[in-house]
Amino acid sequence: MDRRRFIALAGVSAGAATLAACQGNGPGAATGGDNAGSGKGGANSLVVYAGADTNIQDLWTKTLIPGFKKATGITVTFQFDLHGQNSDQILNKIAAATQQKKDPGIDFLESMGDRAGAAGLLADPTGKVTNLSEISQDVLATVEKNAIPYRGSAVLLAYLPSKVSQPPKSLDDLLAWIKANPGKFAYNSPDSGGAGDSFVQTVLSKYLTPDVLKQMQTGYHKDLESKWDQGFTTLADLNKSMYQKGVYPNGNNGTLELLLQGQISMCPAWSDQFISGRASGVVPKDAKALQISDPSFTGGATQCGVLSASKKQDLGFKLANWLLEPEQQAAIAKAIAGFPAIPMSKLPSDVQSEFADADPGNLRPGFNSDMDSDMKSQWQQKVPGH
Amino acid sequence: MARSHTGTGAASRGKIGGLLMASPPIIVAAVFVGFPILVAIAYSLGHVGGLNRTIATIARGQHTVAAWDQMSLGAYRDVFTDQRFTHDLGVTIIVTLIATLAVTALAWVIAVYLRTTPEGAWFRSGVAKLISGLAVVPMFIPVVIASWAMLTFYAADGFIRSLCADLGFQGPTWGYTMVCVAIGLVWTNLPFATLMITSGVQSVPDPLIEAARDAGAGLLTIVRTVIAPLTIVPTVIALTFTAIGTLGAFTMPYFTGPNAPSMLGVDMVSYFRSYNRPQQSVVMAVVVFAVAAVFGAFYVWANFRSAKDSGRV
Repeated sequence: MDRRRFIALAGVSAGAATLAACQGNGPGAATGGDNAGSGKGGANSLVVYAGADTNIQDLWTKTLIPGFKKATGITVTFQFDLHGQNSDQILNKIAAATQQKKDPGIDFLESMGDRAGAAGLLADPTGKVTNLSEISQDVLATVEKNAIPYRGSAVLLAYLPSKVSQPPKSLDDLLAWIKANPGKFAYNSPDSGGAGDSFVQTVLSKYLTPDVLKQMQTGYHKDLESKWDQGFTTLADLNKSMYQKGVYPNGNNGTLELLLQGQISMCPAWSDQFISGRASGVVPKDAKALQISDPSFTGGATQCGVLSASKKQDLGFKLANWLLEPEQQAAIAKAIAGFPAIPMSKLPSDVQSEFADADPGNLRPGFNSDMDSDMKSQWQQKVPGH
Repeated sequence: MARSHTGTGAASRGKIGGLLMASPPIIVAAVFVGFPILVAIAYSLGHVGGLNRTIATIARGQHTVAAWDQMSLGAYRDVFTDQRFTHDLGVTIIVTLIATLAVTALAWVIAVYLRTTPEGAWFRSGVAKLISGLAVVPMFIPVVIASWAMLTFYAADGFIRSLCADLGFQGPTWGYTMVCVAIGLVWTNLPFATLMITSGVQSVPDPLIEAARDAGAGLLTIVRTVIAPLTIVPTVIALTFTAIGTLGAFTMPYFTGPNAPSMLGVDMVSYFRSYNRPQQSVVMAVVVFAVAAVFGAFYVWANFRSAKDSGRV
């Protein structure tokens, strides 16, 4: 083979490899297709975007969308984005469309209402979603502007009963256990997933007074961030007791995988991911999960919202209101082990008993999203490798 | 007279034709690459209007300017006063240098082995072909899958450690360390460098090597005085491509590297996505761009030299 042909061949294969690598990453990877704008499909249809795991996809495509169609006759086109990988682009697209007063091609956000709400992209649901009155004021106080909380989840402590016979019940016990069993605990880096983020927030909250904590949950106060120092010192001290002397895997599933391989015995995990993972085999079948106390791990409501740029806001509010009805809340609880947003007393007794231990009414809210961004950045500065 | 007239006419037509043929890629590069770079640099200097308005509504911790003729170095100050960044920049450059040198050295060994295989040595030529074939395999394996495989191979319960344990001693745990990242980057970059350098070494004419051998030169002397000078251009091209690719690497360090220090590719994504600080992320991109431009200068020089050697300039 002469040199020119050789180089040409190399060039072609490198190009092909690059092209192949680019596939499946663009915003168009969402199912439902991005040509399914709300302009198409008639006046009685709605485009819902969800950036989540497959359990949410199943919940919507198998239960909620057919149910909503049956109840109201409205067709829903579901744009699904696995793990919300394209959520940044989607949010930018919505922001751009809102500024230019154009149709963003999406009417309703299944999740991400917190980020869209903070950026002022949601329409005001007051008076249009009557079931909002069912949701507790404490929860409503933590959601972003115009966002609607419709299901919840919390971070729990997942453990292997075969390795840990007496799991810690409080944060102090947990910290003591980590030091007594070096290398057997891991949490994912907070910038890569909510479970590790919650662990970090919980340790920081241990050293905060209730009023300071309240301020951090509801607003952005940069001057209060110095109060995190003690918590970060505690976390940095834990480095040598962590998995592989200070390795923080990337992503919520990074730690669950170590748990599955038996490399660690305990890790923080999302309640819904844990329960659905146990069914699919990503989480060991015999693993258990519990909520700790003083303070508990954070949990929160998944916030949905109707886009202010949408031309079909009325249909969107109708969907939001319908989601908050007891029947749908019970369906969500059964399908994905999601905590109901409305009081437990409104739900059937079998759902009530299933959630008796998880105490879903007592979701400890996390930091405000801007505080959380800063916290992730400071964690990266102060904890690993120190 | 008439002949010389047609001569210049053809030449100028050739020039215009050449320009026309070259212009589509130049226009595409200018519109889709050059322009966004300028917009991003403007954003890093505090210009949040116009095309940067969308990102600026979502971002936090921005430094902004009021008028188009001003600029703010605030974001640059943020980044450069952050110890994490200077540390990560240092680590990134060191890993880049190590990986680039290792890739080039390996590619050279493969190329020379292939080139100096004597005719008729069927076993050695088989081995040479196998090695050069294997060296190209990583090109066809996605980096995500490769990094995952790499991680399980070097993990605390991975193959290396298990093998060492069977032999009765403690092996190293390289998973989640910079060692694993460097090995991974060598793996991903080896195919291109091997193709480039092998083809360069192959094109050295046989008579030159045989003449040197007849004059009593050993292998090292032949490589140093005959093959290397004739292969300098492909080597520089392989060096620059590997260095630029490694400098901006994301997947390998994200999956297999430690949390801190990290490489800049990972930092940029974290700043952009997790910390909601796109402006600072762009500042890092500008820094990486500047470092890559230094490597790029070598590439341009090498191309120019090769054009000059073949009499095209």
